[in-house]
Amino acid sequence: MTFKTFGKTFGAACALSLGLAGLALAEYPERPINMVIPYGAGGATDISARTIAEPLGAAVGKPLVMANVTGAGGATGSVAVQNAKEDGYTMLFARVGSHSVNPAMKATLPYTLEDFRFVTVYEINPVACAVSSSSGITSMEELIAKVDQGGVTYSSSGVGSLLHLAAVMVLSEFGVEEPLTQTTHIPQKGGGAAATAVLNGTATFLCTNSSSIASFVANKQLVPLMVTTAEPVPGFDVPTAADLGKPALHQLVGWTGIAGPDGLPDEVADKWGTWMASATEDADFLEKMTARGSVIELMSPEDANAFIQGQYDTFRKLVDDLGMRIEG
Amino acid sequence: MSFVDSLAAGLSLVGNIEAFLALFLGVAIGVIGGAIPGMSATMAVALTLPFTFAMQPITGILLLLGVYKGGIFGGSIPAILIKTPGTPASSATILDGYPMAEKGEAGRALGMALWASCTADVISNLSLILFAGWLASFALSFGPPEFFTLILFSLTIIAGVSGESLLRGALSALLGLLLATIGLDLVYGTNRFTFGDPNMMGGLNFIAVLIGLFAIPEILAMVRHPTAHVGKARSLGKNWVTFGEYRRSFKSIVRGSFIGVFLGSIPGIGAAPSAFLSYSEARRTSKNRENFGKGEIEGVAASEAGNNGVAGATLIPLLALGVPGDVITAIIIGAFMIHGLQPGPMMFILNVDIIYGLFIGLIVSSVFLFLIGSIAIRGFKYVADVPKRILIPAVLVLCIYGVFAVNNNIFDVGVMFVMGWIGFAMMRYRVPAAPFLIAFILGPLLEDNFRQSMLMSGSDPAILVRGPITWFFWAMTLLTIIAIARAGIRAVKAGPLLGQPPQG
Amino acid sequence: MRLGVGAVLAALFLAVYAIPAWVSSPSNVGNIILSPLFWPYALAGFTGLTGFGLIYSGLRLDQSGAPLEEPSDEAGAAWVRLALMAVIMVLTMLLLPGLGMVLTSMLIFAATAFLVRTRHPMTALVCAVLVPLVLYAFFAHVAGVAIPQGEVLRLP
Repeated sequence: MTFKTFGKTFGAACALSLGLAGLALAEYPERPINMVIPYGAGGATDISARTIAEPLGAAVGKPLVMANVTGAGGATGSVAVQNAKEDGYTMLFARVGSHSVNPAMKATLPYTLEDFRFVTVYEINPVACAVSSSSGITSMEELIAKVDQGGVTYSSSGVGSLLHLAAVMVLSEFGVEEPLTQTTHIPQKGGGAAATAVLNGTATFLCTNSSSIASFVANKQLVPLMVTTAEPVPGFDVPTAADLGKPALHQLVGWTGIAGPDGLPDEVADKWGTWMASATEDADFLEKMTARGSVIELMSPEDANAFIQGQYDTFRKLVDDLGMRIEG
Repeated sequence: MSFVDSLAAGLSLVGNIEAFLALFLGVAIGVIGGAIPGMSATMAVALTLPFTFAMQPITGILLLLGVYKGGIFGGSIPAILIKTPGTPASSATILDGYPMAEKGEAGRALGMALWASCTADVISNLSLILFAGWLASFALSFGPPEFFTLILFSLTIIAGVSGESLLRGALSALLGLLLATIGLDLVYGTNRFTFGDPNMMGGLNFIAVLIGLFAIPEILAMVRHPTAHVGKARSLGKNWVTFGEYRRSFKSIVRGSFIGVFLGSIPGIGAAPSAFLSYSEARRTSKNRENFGKGEIEGVAASEAGNNGVAGATLIPLLALGVPGDVITAIIIGAFMIHGLQPGPMMFILNVDIIYGLFIGLIVSSVFLFLIGSIAIRGFKYVADVPKRILIPAVLVLCIYGVFAVNNNIFDVGVMFVMGWIGFAMMRYRVPAAPFLIAFILGPLLEDNFRQSMLMSGSDPAILVRGPITWFFWAMTLLTIIAIARAGIRAVKAGPLLGQPPQG
Repeated sequence: MRLGVGAVLAALFLAVYAIPAWVSSPSNVGNIILSPLFWPYALAGFTGLTGFGLIYSGLRLDQSGAPLEEPSDEAGAAWVRLALMAVIMVLTMLLLPGLGMVLTSMLIFAATAFLVRTRHPMTALVCAVLVPLVLYAFFAHVAGVAIPQGEVLRLP
């Protein structure tokens, strides 16, 4: 039975890529669209992108060619789209790291938010903070108390990643005045390594997408302390930022969206709006994404821009207040 | 549940034709994918992933594991035939595999690669089944200081692959270390040698460097002297590896397999260093050490055992801890999660049937690897018979496609070309390429783990000797350096026979 | 010997110019061993040491050594061919974005085949057309890679 499905999927993929090429349509899109994923295969962005590609491809009617262009925390792939033709045939899966944390933290970044036109944000990832189960810490108060004693460290997937900024922002919201000197940042290569660092005691805690530590929490290897959303997250039996009286942390969430180069024509942006509307309705897609802990929330281009700008401003203010900006 | 019950449950799960078909298909896809430079095992697994969504969990995961194992072996085919490693893990195989192909012994080299791979695969799978729990707890005691000392020790293998002159090997390694610093700094995120180019910020692509260093110089040498090969036998011939040769290399194969199991069970090292370590250990202890690097079959056996020994063992941290050991297992973890399975200690309690199903599948996969590998060698061996001056342009074009495909970036093609000229210059000045490669892989790990250790301890170097594991590796490093130094002094005293102090 | 001098010069260049100019370090680094500069400087130092080692062993042994290369029938023509290969590579990089990967590869294949004076010119030409097409079909349709398409020719 499964092999029939395999055959069908494979057959459909071939038909999609070969057969449709004959139908030349005058209007956009008349050929396959390149979708750049600025992070590596198997990561949160990659899985999200490849999950939506299925219903989205059906809505577009042309194949979507997924291309992972990794490097420099999403910058290499983002630049590839920034410099691409503004014809709508090269689009980017933008992510919180590449398009709000990085611009806020890195002065040397070769692009700014103005270089892109966002057509949508479709996925929100709650952020959760967790410690190792062997640390004995069970609540945020205990963690903060430990900070005052000194020696607290946090891991991240690299400088300028969401994990880096999230830990600093959480500490600062909980009244730690000098998070940069009172605690130590131990950057790792990638999100998986960041979680492992907390597991093996290299770092005290981390704040990351709830989905990437869900299995460690279920296996009781990591103890969650809080989630940054207003609503509780399934599988995380901990207080929300609202419960803890820190509404400012609601800004601290991961997201995935789709963007094109700045000069993207209006009709292309409109097309994407309708395609995304039908793609996010897909039951299979919704089920897969929510099972992974994502919240599917489709934003119009205006809402998406306002949301990203708002998050960028919050992050930028924090970065400037603490002197975290990377100039060199 | 008792062991027999678990086994029965596992058997009932995989005891259907679909599961075995998936495994067989997976190994076949892997061997072909691995044999195409630039495709690599990683990409083959990533491409197969979407097809597994619609399958039963165990069928899908077996398919991916098949691709993984096939891919690691498949990489050795182009490494031996056209000096282009299909996956990074097979770069050590080049050192002796390609000289063998040049001597017209490609069939023997490929045969030995297959036998060594399958043996290592069996050992690796058995280790996974028998010692998963024990090795997993060991893996978690590896923090940055332990990594630092392990990698420092691994760097001493440079002495083993330096060829005739240790100093030239060191120079090659330093060049590799320097080029590996290109990109964003890990701790501060500042630019190092990027010249403001966003393509450089991500660092030089590893596969582009690898292919540039090995395949392109061969093309340039051909361009310089197009008729050098004429008259040399290069065809595959009838020769095939004999059981006697296998027996002779058996010790190296077993040692390589256990090196692979050990390094594979620690997340974050990968198969390439394991293959090099296994190679250098085999060379150190072999009676035929003079012949290593000139087409010694034991060298091929050791490298292939080293990289295939990793394949089963990377599943140890994956299944027991939920921690992926490398990029490939990170993708495989994705497949577990899509099916609602959460790898980790709880899986041994909640989904013990799946665990045992996987174990059974893995054991069978070694047999499939042997079958498909034998067929693949018969198919690919005709490459050795293609006229070399048609083969060379074809390899060039294949490299361009492959390197582009790794990261969808034309810039990487340029990196490959530039590295090709550097590799060509190194070849002409008799600077060996293997130390460069090892340093390029291990250099960033060494620096990152050193700085992470310093961050952990607040710059107190005492953390580098914090436990028995670090002591062990410090001792190993010291012993190796003393051995190298003594061999060097002895060689100098013996008089300048070759004009250079030989290696250790 | 020449290699040793080269290594020493490279180490000097790194330490005096390249590292200060092309490696940036934040001003607030607490400890020198954590600085992004530490590792490159250490490497430059080791390179210099290795260079001195090579010079020393070259002086001490003072040997002519084996010739660097096997004698070639025509040294001049060899360098011309290498230069042409370099030109082919530069042209490849320039043509790839505009012509697309398939057409560029066809040109490279043909050019390289004739550069190495193939004995089978017809086979080479046929392969020059077929190999890039087959690779394109494989990478674009089986592996799903976005192989760059040119402005001139757009393959399905």
